[in-house]
Amino acid sequence: MKVLLKSARIVGSEGKFENKRVDILIEKGVITKVAASISEPKGARVIKSKNLHVSPGWFDMKVNFRDPGDEVKEDLHSGARAAAAGGFTGVLLMPSTNPPIQSKSEVEYVLKKSASTPVDIFPAGALSVHIKGEDITEMFDMKKAGAIAFTDDRKAVKDSGLMLRAMQYCQNIGSTLISYANDPGITGNNSVNEGIHSTIAGFKGTPALAEEIFTDRDIRICKYAEGKIHFATVTTASAIRLIKDAKKAGVKVSCEVTAHHIFFDDSMIAGYDTNYKVKPPLRSKEDVAALRKAVNEGIIDVICSDHSPQDIESKDTEFDFASSGIIGLETSFAAANTVLDGNENVGMMVDLFARNPRKILGLDMPQIKTGESANLTIFDPSHKWTFTDEDIISRSYNTPFVGTEFTGVVIGIINKGQLVLRESLIHEVVN
Amino acid sequence: MAGITRKRGMKEQLSVKHLLGIKDLTVSDIQLIFDTASNFKDVINRPIKKVPSLRDITIANLFFENSTRTRLSFELAEKRLSADIINFSASSSSVSKGETLIDTVNNILAMKVDMVVMRHPKPGAAIFLSKHVDCKIINAGDGTHEHPTQALLDAFSIRERTGTLKGVKVVIIGDIMHSRVALSNIFCLKKMGAEVMVCGPVTLIPKYISELGVKVENDLSKALNWCDVANVLRIQLERQDIRYFPSLREYVMMYGINKRILDKLKKKIILMHPGPINRGVELSSDAADSGHSIILQQVENGVAVRMAVMYLLAGRIN
Repeated sequence: MKVLLKSARIVGSEGKFENKRVDILIEKGVITKVAASISEPKGARVIKSKNLHVSPGWFDMKVNFRDPGDEVKEDLHSGARAAAAGGFTGVLLMPSTNPPIQSKSEVEYVLKKSASTPVDIFPAGALSVHIKGEDITEMFDMKKAGAIAFTDDRKAVKDSGLMLRAMQYCQNIGSTLISYANDPGITGNNSVNEGIHSTIAGFKGTPALAEEIFTDRDIRICKYAEGKIHFATVTTASAIRLIKDAKKAGVKVSCEVTAHHIFFDDSMIAGYDTNYKVKPPLRSKEDVAALRKAVNEGIIDVICSDHSPQDIESKDTEFDFASSGIIGLETSFAAANTVLDGNENVGMMVDLFARNPRKILGLDMPQIKTGESANLTIFDPSHKWTFTDEDIISRSYNTPFVGTEFTGVVIGIINKGQLVLRESLIHEVVN
Repeated sequence: MAGITRKRGMKEQLSVKHLLGIKDLTVSDIQLIFDTASNFKDVINRPIKKVPSLRDITIANLFFENSTRTRLSFELAEKRLSADIINFSASSSSVSKGETLIDTVNNILAMKVDMVVMRHPKPGAAIFLSKHVDCKIINAGDGTHEHPTQALLDAFSIRERTGTLKGVKVVIIGDIMHSRVALSNIFCLKKMGAEVMVCGPVTLIPKYISELGVKVENDLSKALNWCDVANVLRIQLERQDIRYFPSLREYVMMYGINKRILDKLKKKIILMHPGPINRGVELSSDAADSGHSIILQQVENGVAVRMAVMYLLAGRIN
């Protein structure tokens, strides 16, 4: 395979070509030449566009591929295709499968089954056995097998003692602990944000307070244990304030926000469309504004998709009976880029999507340099397009973004010697 | 009698195709329902209580949650309008066999039903259904969301006593958080120009309710002294998944209304209740049976208002 990227602006790679428009030649998965102009070699696939950008391959820190257990919704291969379509060359796979990823054998299953995919799938191991919140898992053994972080995914760790032990143990083995901060005693079974919109729709609602309390608790635990913590899917202004203060005080804290939490607010629930039922819930207009501001100020380190495929039966039902989650891999960059004016700040977008996730997880940063293996994402941050059903690559269709106009599009990825291009889009972009 | 014989292309029509909630109604919709209900109230007080208005219409009453009086009221209203009716309740249904709501309703519609009256335990269920099936839908209560015909009959009953709703001070007392009656009443009364207050323990009042333009008062005697009308809600322990107050005994101590409390007020207030009353809990017997109470008029008006709603929606069937 020979690929020539013509006049691509390099963003987010260290070196003399940073921010320059160059031609890049990739042969058999390795970058063989980077230069101001490279003549087309025979048999090369040439990718040309008005506003071609290339960056180190993007990394999504929160995806669910439902494999094993719910392959009717997604499996490791369909999930990897959706990730590639969204511009990701790496993902962190959440452990809440059935059975959960909680021992060496599940970690090995994931790695073995996904070996051939163009996307690197890194499993996160469960923090507690059966994700029950009682005893810690064999983290060391899972780490040896290839798990790179530990979390109970969307199940908050209710027992503060367990959280402390997990934090200390993670530190011991040099891995990253991810917290889903949401006090279940306050949240209960409620699946929408408490506010005027929940009141009008007749829902009890879960207050921002639930997230605030557990964010505060976990920062204190982290400080006490002198550990390191990453907060998954932060959604409220109050949690952001706590994280900002903790960072200032030198506590090793990082956090992420989903693309949908900075795109939509809780007014979307008015029509009871279950595609807006997500966990944590969409928050108030003020929270959304605070989240966007925090991204711009660098308090939020990462944007993730929280890709959560659900079949029609789980979604096309009464709101309370519906499962939570949306598929997000195909849209997270475009959605975030649109609301954050990413076209004006491509460097920040690449930090959020490629560099910061790898830093937090302690992964090597791909470089766009001669001699390096190609692990890169090709995109156009200024291209306007409308997301349709046809753009859904995931096995599931649960997304509220169909019909949305976005700014910024993914053209493709190159990783593990494979090129994945969104052919339907490339025609629009390539001249 | 004018307006009672249903004609295709009636002059006055509702702005909505279904009655899903008070939220969607305009002031003229509510006015039209009241005027039509007044006519039907005359009908049901005549020796022959029946009109042929809906004799070509089939209505299915689908109750996915227990109900006695709302179901009876709808059924009677349908019979007074000469509609054909079928009844369906969750306990005797295939719902327990795992059939989806849409499948259940479509199976019934396949038997050529024109209108569905549905009660359901989940908020938004009627709205969800209206997006998926092709018939007129009347929401007879969807979880903790809305109960529009109850709010209409409550407002109709107040108006009957006070002549207008404009400026009338109504307090809704009790479990506001779990009450679809409260929410629909707030929407309806506010639209018609009444002043609304909610009263109850803090744990049972939604935190953001004042953004709907209602006053919030936790002290029962202050609330009663403020109001012209007190609409007392049933304490529905069955809808509370966890305890919001320690005991009924303590609730009665703080929010139970009895004759002694009513007699101490500076003016005579109107007392309402959507039924069924927990006697000795939210209302003592001497209060419920006192001259303050219009609870039985509410029940009578319920039939007239439901007749009006079904008649007007049927006018929108093509």
